[in-house]
Amino acid sequence: MSERGSNAWPARFAKPEHTVIVGTGIAGATAALTLRTEGYQGRITLVGAEAEVPYRRPPLSKEVLRGTVKGERIRLKPDTYWSEHAIELRTGTTVAAVDTGAASVTLADGEVLGYRNLVLATGSSPRELPEAVGVPGVHYLRSLRSATTLAAALAGRGPVTVIGGGLVGLEIAASARALGCAVSVLEAADRPMSRVLPAWLADPLSALHWDRGVEIHTGVTVARIEHHPRRGGCTVSASNGRAWSAATVVAAVGTVPDTGLAQAAGLLVADGIVVDEYGRTSASGVFAAGDAANLPDMLHGGRRRGEHWNEAMEQGAAVATTIAGVLTPYPRLPWSWSDQHGVTIQVCGRPDLATEHEVHGDPEARDASVVFRRLGRVVGVVAMSRPAEFRALRQLALAAEGGR
Amino acid sequence: MSQEAYKVWECQVCGFVYDEAQGWPDEDIAPGTRWDEIPDDWSCPDCGAAKADFVMVETSRV
Repeated sequence: MSERGSNAWPARFAKPEHTVIVGTGIAGATAALTLRTEGYQGRITLVGAEAEVPYRRPPLSKEVLRGTVKGERIRLKPDTYWSEHAIELRTGTTVAAVDTGAASVTLADGEVLGYRNLVLATGSSPRELPEAVGVPGVHYLRSLRSATTLAAALAGRGPVTVIGGGLVGLEIAASARALGCAVSVLEAADRPMSRVLPAWLADPLSALHWDRGVEIHTGVTVARIEHHPRRGGCTVSASNGRAWSAATVVAAVGTVPDTGLAQAAGLLVADGIVVDEYGRTSASGVFAAGDAANLPDMLHGGRRRGEHWNEAMEQGAAVATTIAGVLTPYPRLPWSWSDQHGVTIQVCGRPDLATEHEVHGDPEARDASVVFRRLGRVVGVVAMSRPAEFRALRQLALAAEGGR
Repeated sequence: MSQEAYKVWECQVCGFVYDEAQGWPDEDIAPGTRWDEIPDDWSCPDCGAAKADFVMVETSRV
């Protein structure tokens, strides 16, 4: 940037216009793409530890496991797109440190990059199951690499035990079943998807899984996992004495935000990098977006962390728009979807807060939309196989709240 | 040929691809159906996003 007159920024802020984005997941990649579509003229560096160019994670638990799509087909953009839009994409590159005082990041090889704005989109990692620590052969799913490894294991068509009946666990189960594997899902709560759905909506989905040959066992607390080096596979034992032997064991028990870099840099961290509704961290010029960010819930109060694809994408877009000059809040009512045995399930808001609800259609037939209210205010919408209704109801909820 | 080449549309939410040449027989959309001919209230078969969330992409067919 050129020198300015006496009204210029203090000299220490007069850095070249450069945005560094850490993390090539959907939040980071979307931030880079959006900066350019918003007309940002500065330099953009997108740095990520993963070896691959930015790709879509949702197909990992579905098409990639089933082997119906190849890795290169899930790329977010053609390989040449990044350089064509003057985005310096540095894959396979780890950021070693952030110095918020000097406004610079240091890469693992020692290179130092100065920034005007920094976006930490470091994502999250699968929560490790304590009983699986040190046990070989327990799979987790997060990256393309982990999906490829798991897909190779599932291709053996042996029995599969999935620990965790959340959205990811159930998608893995459905994919393994589609491949012809015998599948058991072990869930600690009294129903699958307990964080997202009430029992009366989770039950019809459980029934669908059982109909398709996926066994879902609830109230199961894993006590021990044994690996069988000679015959292969593992046995998962529950505290109630039951045991499941499988060729392949997958743990899908939630995520933990990747906050190590932020913490070491002295940023405020509490179940994620603490940000305001515009993604601003406790350090000047530093933002956080995606799974790694812990943000205020402007609709329901309290704070929360997003763990879904669309929300990470929308946060990446919002933070880029803010950096490009138009202060843009994170979405107040993000939505997510899951695809299980061909049924599209869509969720927004906090159905768990509801005191009343209104049903359209037939939940038992997995063809319904439901509006959840708390003292008359819409707090959430759930739809099964009714995407158009879901969109309309979600807009209604947003209009009622005056949100975006 | 005066016939315009078939186009490919991609859901910006989940990446689902609609290829006009192939249509979407699961929902009785015949091969060769142009994007313009698909109803506006049609939804992405994978994630449920709106037709408006799709963009035309220049992509190689496989």
